[in-house]
Formats: sequence, C-alpha cells, structure tokens
Amino acid sequence: MTYDFAVVLGYWEALLQGLEVTVELTLLCAALGSALGFVTSLARVSPVRFLRWISTLYVEFFRGTPVLIQLFWFFFCLPIILGSDISNFIAATVTLTLYTGAITSETFRASLKSIRPEEIDACIALGLPRLTQITNIVLPQALLRAIPTLLSNFVSLFKESALVSAVGMADLMFVGQNISSNIAKPVEVLTVVAVIYFVVAFPLTRAVTVIERKMLAKLAI
Amino acid sequence: MNKSMSNLSSAKSFSATDSTNKSPTASTSGQALVKVSNLHKSYSPTIQVLKGLDLTMAAGERLVVIGPSGGGKSTLLRVMMGLEQIDSGSITFAGQPYITANDGKAKTKINLAVRQQIGMVFQHYTLFPHLTILQNLTLAPRKVRGESKASAEARGMALLTRFGLAAKAGAYPNQLSGGQKQRVAIARALMLDPKLMLFDEVTSALDPELVAEVEQVIMSLAEQGMPMMIVTHDMWFAKNIASRVVFCAGGVVVEEGPPDQIFNAPKHERTREFLDRVFHI
Amino acid sequence: MSYSFDFTGLEQGYDSLLEGLKVTVELTLAANLIGVTLGFVVALLVMSRISLIRTPVMLFIEFFRCTPAIIQIVWFFYCVPIMFDVYLDSVTMGVLALGLNLTAFNAEAYRAAIQSVPKEQHDAGIALGLSPFQRVIYIVLPHALRSALPVLITNGIGIFQQTALVAIVAIQDLMYQGKSLATTTYRPIETFTLIAVIYFAVSFPVAQLVQLIERRREVASR
Ligand SMILES: Nc1ncnc2c1ncn2[C@@H]1O[C@H](COP(=O)(O)OP(=O)(O)OP(=O)(O)O)[C@@H](O)[C@H]1O
Ligand SMILES: [Mg+2]
Repeated sequence: MTYDFAVVLGYWEALLQGLEVTVELTLLCAALGSALGFVTSLARVSPVRFLRWISTLYVEFFRGTPVLIQLFWFFFCLPIILGSDISNFIAATVTLTLYTGAITSETFRASLKSIRPEEIDACIALGLPRLTQITNIVLPQALLRAIPTLLSNFVSLFKESALVSAVGMADLMFVGQNISSNIAKPVEVLTVVAVIYFVVAFPLTRAVTVIERKMLAKLAI
Repeated sequence: MNKSMSNLSSAKSFSATDSTNKSPTASTSGQALVKVSNLHKSYSPTIQVLKGLDLTMAAGERLVVIGPSGGGKSTLLRVMMGLEQIDSGSITFAGQPYITANDGKAKTKINLAVRQQIGMVFQHYTLFPHLTILQNLTLAPRKVRGESKASAEARGMALLTRFGLAAKAGAYPNQLSGGQKQRVAIARALMLDPKLMLFDEVTSALDPELVAEVEQVIMSLAEQGMPMMIVTHDMWFAKNIASRVVFCAGGVVVEEGPPDQIFNAPKHERTREFLDRVFHI
Repeated sequence: MSYSFDFTGLEQGYDSLLEGLKVTVELTLAANLIGVTLGFVVALLVMSRISLIRTPVMLFIEFFRCTPAIIQIVWFFYCVPIMFDVYLDSVTMGVLALGLNLTAFNAEAYRAAIQSVPKEQHDAGIALGLSPFQRVIYIVLPHALRSALPVLITNGIGIFQQTALVAIVAIQDLMYQGKSLATTTYRPIETFTLIAVIYFAVSFPVAQLVQLIERRREVASR
C-alpha cells in the first residue's frame, strides 16, 4: 500500500477555507463565551440565591452532557421553539458559546478564589472602598491568573468546534471529510486534517505552560 | 541600639510622618488614645477568644503585647483594625467611640473615619502582587483620599528613600526579599498618616537575618513618637521598644507594666511561667 | 412560546434508548480499562531517559491531546482498515479510538502524579533495598494512583461524554438511538432533552464524587 499525500495539496484552498471557518468560529465563541463565563462565575458567588442556583445548574448541565447533543438540541429544537429557521452557524455559535461559558466560568471561579484573604484584610486596613477593592485588587489578579487556563479552555473549544461538521457547517473537519470521500483517499486527507488541527493546537498548549510559569512567578508573593 | 532606645522612653511628642498632622483629637495629651472596655469576641459559640479584655493606651505609648499562642493577641489587633465583629464591649479612640457592639444580631458598629487613622502591618505578606511597590504605596491615598497621582508618588518616593528602598519603586513584590516586603508594607500603611500603628508579628515569617532591618524601621518610627501596638514573640525587641508591656492570655490582660517590671519582676505566676518558657528553652 | 411538550410518543423508543445506553456504558468502561492501565505504562515510557522511547511516546500523547476526538474516531474508522488490512467490528474500533484518546490524557495525569512522589520516598525505597521494579510497584504506583485519582475519574467521565461521537460513525449508542428516535417520532425537543438528561444523570454524580474526594484531600492536607 502506498500513499499519495501530494494529491491532498490540490485541495489546499478548500482546506484553508475550512480552517478559516474553524478559527473564526473559535475566536467568536471564545470571546462571547469568556464574557458569559465571567458573568456566570460572579453569579455563582452572588448573595442572591436564585442567581447562584440558576448559574450552577447551567454550568453543571453543560459540563455534564456531550457537546454533540447540545449542538443537536440547538440545531433541531431552536427552530421549533423560535418558530423560524436558524442557520447552522447560529446553532453552532450558540452551542459553543454556552459550552465555553460553562468551562470558563469554572476557570474564573478558581482564579477569584485564589486571591488570598490576607489581601482583603489589607484592603480593609487601608480603608479601600469596596468598589476599589474589586476593580483594583480582585479583578486584575483574577483575570491575570485566569489567562493560562483560559487559553487551554480555548484549545478545547477549538477541538470541540470540529463537531459543527455534524450539522453541516463547512469547517475544517467537514471540508476534510468531504474531500476524503470524494477522492476516496481517507488516509491521506484525514491525516492531513488531523495534522492541521495539531499544528494549531499544539503550540497553544505549549504557550499555556510558558505563560503559566511566568504568571506564577509574577503573581507569587 | 540600646542607647537610642533609652531616650525613647521619654519621647512624648508625636508626629506620624513627615506630613502634617491635622487631627487635634488624636494628639490631645494626657487623654487615653485607645480605651478598650470589656471586649468579648468569639469566632463561634465554642471558640471564645476575648473574654472581657480591658486595655488603655495613652498617647505616645508603645504597647507591646506578649503572651502564649492562641491567647487572642492577633484577634485583639484585628478587632482594633475593624477586621472582626465583636460580641460585646467597646473601643474608643482619642475619646471618640470607635468600635461598639450592637447587642443582638446587628453588626458591630465601626466608625470608619476613625479606622482610617489606624494603620496595620500583618504577619503574612499582604502586598498586592500585581502592583509595583510604588503603586502599592499610592493606591490607598489616591482612592481613599483622592490625592493626586503626582503628590502621592512624591510622598511615596520620599518614604521609600527614607527606608532605603527607592531603587525598588518600580519592582514587583515578588522581586523583593521578605524583609524588604515588610518594610514596604510599613511604608504603605504610613502613606495614610496613621495616628496609631498596629504590628502583628511582622517579623515572624522572616528569615532570621532579615528580622533586624524590619525591627530597625519600627524603632525609627518609635523614635519619631509614633504610637504603636506591637505583638511579637521577639522578647529582645519587646524589651527595647516597649514603653509598656501587656501580658495577654486566655482572652484577658493578665498583667501589664513597664518592660523592666514585666521582664524582671513579673507579679503573676502565669506571666512568670510564660517568660520562663520563652527565655529558658 | 406556544410549544407543548409531549413525552408520550417517546415510549415506543424506551427500549432502544436503553439498548443505546448499554452500548454507551460498555464503550465507556472498555475505554477506561485501556486508559487507566495503558495510561500508566505510557506515563512511565514518556519519562524514560532514552529519547528513542520518550520522543515517539510524547508525540503520541500530544497528538491525541491536540486534535479533535471526532477526527480520531473518523480516522480510525476509515484508515485503520486500509492501512493495516484488518476489519474489526465498529464497537471494537470505537473502543480503540476512545481508549487511546483516554490513554493520552491519563498518561499526563499519571506523569504529574508520579512527579509529585516525594524524592524521600524513592530514597527510602532504595535504602530498603527494593529493586527499581519493586519501587515502581510498591511506592510509585500507589502514590501516583492515589494522587491522580480525581483527574482519572474526571477524564473517565469526559470519555463517557465523548462516546456520543461514535454515533457519527453509526455505532448504535445512546446518542445514535436518540437521534433516530427524534427522527421517527418527530419529537426532537423531547428526545434530545431526555437524552441530555440521561447523560447528565450519569455524569453529574461522578463529578460530585470527584469534588468530594478533592475537598477531603484539601481538609486532610491542612
Ligand atoms: N478566623 C478564625 N476562626 C476560628 N477561630 C479562630 C480564627 N482566628 C483565630 N481563631 C482562634 O482564636 C484563638 C486566638 O487566636 P489568635 O490568633 O488571636 O491568637 P494569638 O494570640 O495571636 O496566637 P499566636 O501567638 O499563635 O499568633 C485561637 O485558638 C485560634 O485558633
Ligand atoms: Mg497571632
């Protein structure tokens, strides 16, 4: 058995377009999702019981079910509920944003928790108003500490985004599968697609390690 | 060191930092600066820590609080800083009611204007790690008093220069040694021109060779007449800096008096036992 | 929203859903069996001093960790038969893909845990005259298992969720059965909600268990 990887080269434009869709979707959902995640993390420590309850339910449910079913749910059910068709792009964006919101809220929650109680004592001793404590001490540190984990959350999102091919969105995975079945060369095409995912994701995971080390050093006391 | 301390005991004047000191109430001589009356504090029904503690501190005094571990020294200082709720009792500061227990469930009443006149340095490092040293110093003056950035930075640099830390102004806390961090923490508290400084075992997290530099800074503040309340396990330091020593155990003041008396001729058995233990091990 | 829920139509599908759940659970258990055992071996290999062993193993781990699970599954389905000329039934193929994926993630968990074994314990093992193999079995393994446990369970439950992907290659798991039921009953909302709840009902207690273990450890280490 010989493999002809050169044939895949002929489809580089289509693959590139697929990658573009994947990356755009990832960036969009990373931005929307981490905003949602941040708000959710605050809701989870809110003094209002209902907010705590609903945010916990949201996070646990989205973390406790397969993303594929979430995607199908929005793809097949949202149109019925809304009474109008939605594009697979909308379904994908909603699903992946909610998924990212759930996982990043845990990241933000951990980073909020990591602020030492002694620092809050110091804030009170210095007479800092509550708002200043939050805007100048708690938030900047929480956001800084969240960066490495957020980045690896985004890598997870990038990988999970391949699922949108299952609802017919023309991302890298979808394009790859199409080409693969059209030219009946799954080994070559699928391997190349996997390598493309790897080439994007792997450096990011390395970056996580480096940033983590730097962050630990910087915020150590 | 001993020489400089001997004239300390007669120091009565008091000016907090180089900056002017406007509050007339705080420096009224003869009147008690701090009066703690019948203070009760528990962390839970089973953890009663302060059990009717009484304490008076005159203006210009340097009170050193010693006592066995778990005796409530840190709790006393934390209550004085307004960090803890109390069960009953009261604290006045320069004649003004400062902390009063609200009987029943309501929270302890804390006079915030008074609290701003008190500064505290903790045992654990409490510098904000994401801010530079100078930013650590200027944050509170700017946010609490609305001081301009330029003015706060100028005062901050002056303080850092005085403490030999000017070169570190732009550094982050993790680039400093433990001793330097605690000196910055002292400077940070001084930025608000406190009328009373609280020190809770500020050297006990430090490597032995770094203890002296921090104690010297506190000594120099003492020389300038800064009233202070110090909790320490360093008996040498206690002897040298105290104008009065308070032995605190079991949530009450067991015995108090001038350092000579407490260290050389303690009246109470518990005090003697405690001192025997710390000096003869 | 004028939609009225109607779960009655689903009754005809309960049996098939149960069948599907059985397949899902079997896939999960089999993948975990591979992941927990092979993961430890791979962790030892990736820590080897010989780079000829270390590098390929590292590549294996990183490749599985840095590509979507769905492409791993699809790749297995289409490529393994061609490349190795073996035709396994689809469930076996699913187990292999999921198992190797889990192996990569678990290997990382084990590696972190092994590296957290205090050096003194190694020294003590040497001082007691244990052979390297005995040290791994009696000192490293128990410690690593213990401290990796929460991550292993979390990864294991993660694989439970990832099994849903095999529906795409027509393995009749819970997801697959659900999707066909949704199509035959024209009741996608009820069906997908029910399936999501089933997945959740399995994952959530396990996730709580992990939290319980972690909280206990926190208390114990204080
Ligand atoms: N936040 C808290 N919650 C519950 N109990 C506490 C808390 N803080 C202190 N305690 C308890 O209160 C008692 C007094 O503590 P405190 O820290 O005031 O003692 P201390 O005299 O400063 O001791 P040390 O010399 O060890 O610092 C101790 O038994 C301690 O365990
Ligand atoms: Mg203490």
